[in-house]
Amino acid sequence: MSDFYQGGVITTLHNLGKQSLERLEAELRLYSSVRPVALVLPALYSEFEGPAMPRIVEELAKVKYIKEIVLVLDKASEKEFRNAKEFMSSISTDVKIVHNDGRRIGEIYDTIERNGLDVGQRGKGRSAWLAYGYVIARGQSDFIALHDCDIVTYSREMLARLCYPVVKPNLDYVFCKGYYSRVTDRMHGRVTRLLVTPLVRSIQQLYGEHSFLTFLDSFRYPLAGEFCMGIDMARVNRIPWDWGLEVGSLAEVFRNYSPRRVCQVDIAVTYEHKHQVLSADDPEEGLMKMAVDICKSIFRTLASEGVVFSEGFFKSLTVAYQRFAEDTIMKYEADASINGLIFDRHEEAKAVEAFTRAIGLAAKAFRENPMGAPLIPNWNRVTSAIPGILDMLKKAVDEDNK
Amino acid sequence: MEEFLQLIMEPMKDVFVKFKEFAPNLLAMLTIVLVGILFARIMKAVLLRFMKAIKLDSWSDRMGLTAVMRRGDLWAKPSEAVGSVVFWTLIIGSLMAGLSALKIHAIDSLVNQFILYLPRAFSAVLILVFGYIIAGFVGRAVLIAAVNSGYHYAKLLAEAIRLLLTVLILAMALEQLQVAPGIVVAAFSIIFGGIVLALAISFGVGGIDAARRMIEKEEERKEEKKDIEHM
Repeated sequence: MSDFYQGGVITTLHNLGKQSLERLEAELRLYSSVRPVALVLPALYSEFEGPAMPRIVEELAKVKYIKEIVLVLDKASEKEFRNAKEFMSSISTDVKIVHNDGRRIGEIYDTIERNGLDVGQRGKGRSAWLAYGYVIARGQSDFIALHDCDIVTYSREMLARLCYPVVKPNLDYVFCKGYYSRVTDRMHGRVTRLLVTPLVRSIQQLYGEHSFLTFLDSFRYPLAGEFCMGIDMARVNRIPWDWGLEVGSLAEVFRNYSPRRVCQVDIAVTYEHKHQVLSADDPEEGLMKMAVDICKSIFRTLASEGVVFSEGFFKSLTVAYQRFAEDTIMKYEADASINGLIFDRHEEAKAVEAFTRAIGLAAKAFRENPMGAPLIPNWNRVTSAIPGILDMLKKAVDEDNK
Repeated sequence: MEEFLQLIMEPMKDVFVKFKEFAPNLLAMLTIVLVGILFARIMKAVLLRFMKAIKLDSWSDRMGLTAVMRRGDLWAKPSEAVGSVVFWTLIIGSLMAGLSALKIHAIDSLVNQFILYLPRAFSAVLILVFGYIIAGFVGRAVLIAAVNSGYHYAKLLAEAIRLLLTVLILAMALEQLQVAPGIVVAAFSIIFGGIVLALAISFGVGGIDAARRMIEKEEERKEEKKDIEHM
C-alpha cells in the first residue's frame, strides 16, 4: 500500500484501502452514460504477436463503460490489418482500427502536409494524434483515455482508475496521468529515475523556481504513457511526434490548463512492458535517442516560457546534473537494498554517464536550432486550414473498417 | 477444276481489293490513335505540372471539393483526378477521330454526337464545381448570420439551405447533360415547389395569431389617430 502524501502542485490519487473494481466500474457505467469515454490504443502489429495484446483484449472484452475503442495500427500490411480486426472482434464495444499504412490514411496525411502542416514522422505521437482526430470526427465521446499496447501486466483496473477521476463529474479534473512503480526483481524506468527527475531538479537549482519545472516535478512518473483527458484538450493540445511526446504533452497541458484540474493516479502495483536498450554509443537509437529528445523538449518548453539558456548555463547544468544523478543512484541503492531487489550500481552509473552525454547533445542541438522540429498542430488548427478534414478522416477509417 | 479455283480466288480477290482500299484508312486511324495517346500523355503531364504550380490540390482541400471526392470514396489527389479525366477525354476524342478516319457512316454519326455532347458535359462539370462552392459559401454565411442572431436551429437552417441549393445544382447539371430532361425538371419542380409550399403553409398556419395581432394593432393605431384628429 502506498503513502498518502500530496506533493507538488497537482493532485495525487493514491492506491489506499480495500479496492473494489466492481464499485469503480459500476460508477463508471453510470457516469459514462452521460459522459462517454473513448479508448485510444496506439499499437504496432508486432505487439499482436507478443504476450501483451492477447491479455489486453481479454481484459477489454470485460469492460462495459467504454463507448468506443480506436486502435491505431502501425507497421501493418493489408493482411495484417485484417488479422488485427479479427483479433479485436471478441470485444463487444464498438472497435475501429485506423490502418496507418493504408492508402486512405496515407492520403489524409498527404492532404494535411500539402496544406503546409507538418504531421511529423510515424510513431506513437502521430498515431495518438490521428486517433484523437477520429474521435472528434465521430463526435460520440467526451473523454479520451489512452494506454500502450505492450503492457504485459495489464488489468482492466488500470483503465478504470485512469478514467475515474476525469469521468466522475464532481471531481472536475480535465487531465489524469497514470503512475506506477516499474519493479520486477529490480527497478526499471531508468530514464525517469536517473534523467528526468535529476535534470528537472538541477535546472531548478541553477535557475531557481519555475512554474513549469514545479509542475513537471509534481508527476511521480512523468514518462508514463497512460492518461485520460477531456476531448477539448485533444482539440487544443499540440503533440510532439518524437520521444519528447510525454514531456511535450505535459507542457501543453501546463500551457492550457490550471494545475488544479490536473491529477495523477496510482493505476498499478506492478507494471511491466518492453524495455529499451541503453545504446550509449549511438544517440540515434534506444534510450539515448529517447534521452536526447526528452532533454530537447524540456529546454524548448522552458525557452518558450522565457528562460534564457547560455553556454555557461549548459556547462553548469551538465555538472550539476551529474552530481544530482549520482546522489540519486545512492538513494535507489538504499531503496533496493531494503526491499531485497537486485541493484547493479555499475550499470546505473553507466546510464548516468550516457544521459550526461545526452544532455550535452541536446544542448548542442538546442543552440543550433532553438525552434527544433515543430509539434504536430492541434486539430483546431488543422480544421481551420482544411475544413473538411475530419469528415475525410472519418470516411477513410469507416471505409477501411467495412 | 479451273472453275472451282476461280470460285475460291474470286472472293479472295474481292476481299484483297476491299482491304487495299480500306488499309490507308486503317493506317490513318492507328496513326491518329497513337498520336492521340502521345498527345494525351503530354497534356496530362503538362496539366499536372500546371495544377501543382497553382496549388490546385490545396485550393480544392480548402474549398471542400476534396471532401466531396472522399465522400464518394475517391482517394486520388484532385489534380490527379482532373489529369485522368483530361487524359481519358483526349484518348476517347482521339479514338473517335481515328474511327471517323475509317469513313464508316454509322461510326461518323456516333462521332458527331459525341463531339456535340462535349460542351454540355463541360458545362455540367462547371455547374457542379462552382455550384458546390457557392452552396458551401451560402450555407456558411447563413450559419454565421443565424448564430449571430441567436437563432436556436442555426445549423439545421444552414444545412437545409445548402441541401436546397445542392438539389438545384444537381437538377441544373442533369438538365444540361440532357439526362431525361423532362423528368428532371418535373421532379425538381415538384420537390422544390413542395418544399416552398410546405414552408409557406407552416409559416402561414403558425403565423395566423401573429398576423392577427399585427393587423389588430394596426387597426387600433388607425382608430387612435382618427380620435386624435377628431379632437
